[in-house]
Parts: sequence; C-alpha cells; structure tokens
Amino acid sequence: MRDNRRPRVIFAVLIAIAVTLVVIDLRDSSTGNDEGGIRGFANRFFGPVESAFSTIVSPVRDVISSVGSWGSKDQRISDLEAENARLRGELSTTDFDRSRLAEWDKLLRLAGIGQYRIVPAKVIAVGPAQGFAWTVTLDAGSRDGVKADQAVVTGDGLVGRVLAVGPSTSTVLLVVDATSTVGGRAESSLQIGFVSGLGKPNELSFQLRDPFANIKAGDRLVTFGVKGGVYPAGIPIGTVTSVKGTPGQTLFASVDPFVEPTALDLVGVVLIASRTDPRDSVLPPRPTPSTQPTPAGTASPPTTSQSPPSGAPSSSTPTPSKSGP
Amino acid sequence: MPVLRVVLAAAVIITAVMLELVVLARWQLPGATPDLLLVVVVALAIARGPLMGAAAGFAGGLLLDAAPPAAGILGISALVYCIAGYWVGRVAERNDRGPVLIISSAVLAEIGVVAASAGLAGLLGEDRVAWDEVVGLVLTGALYAAILASLVVPLVTSLVRRTEPDYQFR
Repeated sequence: MRDNRRPRVIFAVLIAIAVTLVVIDLRDSSTGNDEGGIRGFANRFFGPVESAFSTIVSPVRDVISSVGSWGSKDQRISDLEAENARLRGELSTTDFDRSRLAEWDKLLRLAGIGQYRIVPAKVIAVGPAQGFAWTVTLDAGSRDGVKADQAVVTGDGLVGRVLAVGPSTSTVLLVVDATSTVGGRAESSLQIGFVSGLGKPNELSFQLRDPFANIKAGDRLVTFGVKGGVYPAGIPIGTVTSVKGTPGQTLFASVDPFVEPTALDLVGVVLIASRTDPRDSVLPPRPTPSTQPTPAGTASPPTTSQSPPSGAPSSSTPTPSKSGP
Repeated sequence: MPVLRVVLAAAVIITAVMLELVVLARWQLPGATPDLLLVVVVALAIARGPLMGAAAGFAGGLLLDAAPPAAGILGISALVYCIAGYWVGRVAERNDRGPVLIISSAVLAEIGVVAASAGLAGLLGEDRVAWDEVVGLVLTGALYAAILASLVVPLVTSLVRRTEPDYQFR
C-alpha cells in the first residue's frame, strides 16, 4: 500500500505548487517583463531553444505549406515524380524567397517614409489558440536594442507592441489580442479614438471619442501617436468596414486590420520613432475610385476631395524630406 | 534507471512544447492548436503510471506557461496538465492499454484541459477568454488530440521500451 500512496502525495504537492504559482502571478499581475522570475528565466533559456527549433524546422515548414499536392499511382513515372517534386520544392522555395524579399521591400519603404528606425526580426513561435492570447515570439531581443513597449510593424502596417524581452528573443502582443488598445485616427481627419483587439484574427473595434464623428466604411486608420506613448504616429492600422452604435451616444466602427496576424513572418521593431508626425503619408496610395468596388455596409462613395495627401506622400507632408530612406 | 527516465521524459516534453509553439501553432489550423504536449503527457502517463503523468504534466504545463510567447496567468497550464497526466495514469493502471484507451483518454484529457484552462482563466479575471469560441476549441482540440495520439503515443511508448527494456509495465 505504501507504493500506492507515493504518487498521490507527490501529485498533491505538485498541485499545491501550481496553485501557489497562480496566486503569486495574480498578486504580482506582472506581464512577464520581470527579469528574475520564471518567465524571465524561460525567456533567457527557452528563447534561444525556440530560435534553434525554428531554424531547424523552417525549410521543412515552408516547403510543406506550398508543396503537398502531387502524386500518381503509376509506378513507371515514379522517377519523374521524384524529380518533379524536387523541382517543385525548389520552385516553391524560390517563390518563398521572392515573397520574403518583397516583404523586406515593403518594410523598408514604410520605415523610410515614416522615418522610423527599425530592427528587422522574424517570427519564430506563436502562442497556442486555446490560450486565447494573440502573441508571437521574435528572434530579436535586448541585444538587438529591443525594449518592452516598442511598436512592431510590417510593410503593411501595425503588428503590435513588445510585451517582454529576453536577450535574443522578445514577445509581441498583437493588436488583435483582446487586451490590446491603440490610439487611432481616421485618415485625413481629426476623428480619434481607441482601436481595441477582439481576440479574433480579422477584426478590430474602433471606439470614436466624438460620438457625432463623421466616419464611414472605407475610411482608413493610422496610429494617433501620443508623445512618449508606445505607438509612433502614422502607422497604418486598418480599414473601416462598418459603423455601429448610435451617433450621439457611442460610436463604434468595425475595422479590418492591414496586417494579417495569422500570416506573420518578417516584421520590424520600431526602435526610434520619427520626430515629426508623418501624417497619412505611410498609408499606401488609395486605389482609384473608378476601379474600387463600393465598400460593404453603408455604401457612401469614397470622396476624392481628400485623396491628395495620401496619393502623393512625400510632397504634401510637413515632414522635412531630407535624404529619404 | 531513474536518471535516464527523467532525462528522456524531459527531452520528450521540451521537444513537444517547442514543436507546438514553433510549428503547430503557426499552421493556424481551424480552431485549437494541436496539443502535442498533452498527447506526450498522456503517452508518458500510460507508459509509466500516474506519478510520471503528474510530473510530466506539471513540468510541461509550466514550460507552456512560461516559454516566450506566453502571456496568460502563470501556473494554470501546470495545474491543469498535471491533473490530466495523473488521471490518465490512474486510468491506464486499471485498464488494458489498447488503442481504445490511448485515443479515448487523450480526447477526454484534451476536452478537460481546454475547458478547465478557459474556465480557470476566466474565473481568475483573465479578460482574454472568448467564451463563444470555447466549444469550437474543445471540439477541434479533441479531434486533433485523437489524430496526434494515434501517431505519437506508440512512438513515445516504443522509445520508452527501447531505452529501458527491463522496465516493468504493470
């Protein structure tokens, strides 16, 4: 019977330890940014392990996602199939390299126009869906100049902010996470408010400060950028898809983010923000109204009266356009 | 050979958590992320009994709670996976360790783990929990657990057998 009791005692001890950890974490309610705690240790030790795993599996992971549909029953052409697969694998990796290069280009363009100083990084790990937290790990850390509460971008727009930093890795809280809030501003207007994540991959909620604000589907949002705040001004966030709520009380807009959180790879951490507000210049040029399909929801046609600032970025901004990127 | 046993279990657990975060979570399959950690805990619990199950679940859960992209309340996964590992170990002691037990215990453990993690986090004031998604996460998680268990549990069991041929499977 003694043999039967030992597992039970150890089980009880482990449960007690786990409960204690929960209680300590709730009392401190730190976000894992402490250097000395369990998360600090895990950042220092398991960050590099994740990097190593990512490096090992990335060729396989990238090819698996694009190959996957070939095969035939014929025995005679198996040699050709093998060669075909090899060539297709090569082709897909080239495609992959090309798309990565395009991502680089876009990122550099955004950083150049907005005059943000960035450090590039790759996503190496993602939090499991059942944990509800929309977070990713980057392969850049404090050694690369990354600090907590720095903004993270791609060439398309805002990704999130740095939550915790290890020596060579960092954790990013994505804007779609339910605990994320960003100060946002509608394009070419002074309509400001808070953009909050909903815990869903393709939707953000924009609560306008002015309940009488004039906002419509198709409007695009950029970060507002408070002095000394986390997010620099002018980073594209997303496009308004519909407006909810009653004008005069609370006005909400549903926003489709520019950055797809499920397909993140290359990102940039903004180390130093621009000194001047880049306004709407970082937004991509608006598609011409003739070819643009009417946006869903309240279909008010996009007026062209306010397009010059976004159409010709470098000329109309008050930014002293020095040597550019 | 307790040292070898612990080292092997630790290696299996760390590999499982790393693969879950670096590969499986990035695939962005519909619903839950395939829970490789849980399946490995189930495998160790079936092969080695409730003590190993509880210890593996605690260690793996703590790693999942603390390893980089983690942002939730520290300790919840350690608690939940520990209970799951202990329970599977107890069940495996009293039953025939066939494919039915492997898959059904993995499915039930995954349902319990996902539901309990969400419930505990919500109860403790984590404002991320999306209640309307919990049912979908539980169902897809259970499906992925069944598939993973049928592949991974025999693998881990054979690994355990090979490193310790004289180990007594009770």
